[in-house]
Amino acid sequence: MNDSNNPLSPHLQIYRWHISSLLSITHRIAGVINLLALILIFFWLVVLSLGESNYELFLSIINSFFGKSILIGFTWSMSFHLLSGIRHLVWDLGYGFEIKTANISGTIVIITSLVVTVIFWLFARGFI
Amino acid sequence: MKETRKWILHRLTAIILAPLYVWLYFSLVSLSTKSYSEATYFFENPLFKILTVMIFFVGFFHAKISLGEIFEDYIHKQKTKYVANILTSISSIVIPLIILILLIFKI
Repeated sequence: MNDSNNPLSPHLQIYRWHISSLLSITHRIAGVINLLALILIFFWLVVLSLGESNYELFLSIINSFFGKSILIGFTWSMSFHLLSGIRHLVWDLGYGFEIKTANISGTIVIITSLVVTVIFWLFARGFI
Repeated sequence: MKETRKWILHRLTAIILAPLYVWLYFSLVSLSTKSYSEATYFFENPLFKILTVMIFFVGFFHAKISLGEIFEDYIHKQKTKYVANILTSISSIVIPLIILILLIFKI
């Protein structure tokens, strides 16, 4: 195991920001946040198995301002990662590489992810 | 794992996971406004149990491949990278197994 010749990716501060690079790094970050969300779901089920009083305490934390903010953040990271993932799959099929097309699809992903977050939240919390 | 295989499995798990994860997350956010008994009733459905366990296995597998890529890009020391990958692999088996056991015996 020789470390000296091991190439690393250039660190993020090196790049000039474009829509393409912004979405690329956000896709990764949203993916990691989704993993945290899945870990929260893990604890959700663990607490559910611990009985009613524990579960109700857990729900009161989830339904606090802090808890709801986290859940809304997770909703956005899920929406974004999914939509951006579809964009990646389209690239994998060989379409959409032109700079103009990629910028348009990137903008669509950002806007749609925000719209989906609002709609998802309103439906899931029973406002609609 | 061979890189091509990894690439294909990464896409495949993504496609399986997308609808399932949205379903589970939507259900949990909905259950957050409801009672304990409604939550346990939801997970009594055998199909929902199977889907939930699947989400954990497939989800953690998808995450394991992705984290491997991120480690490859940003961890310099081979040894650290190796340990990070091992820890991720272990968690990606143990956590879904705990969910499997919980859903069979406890919920």
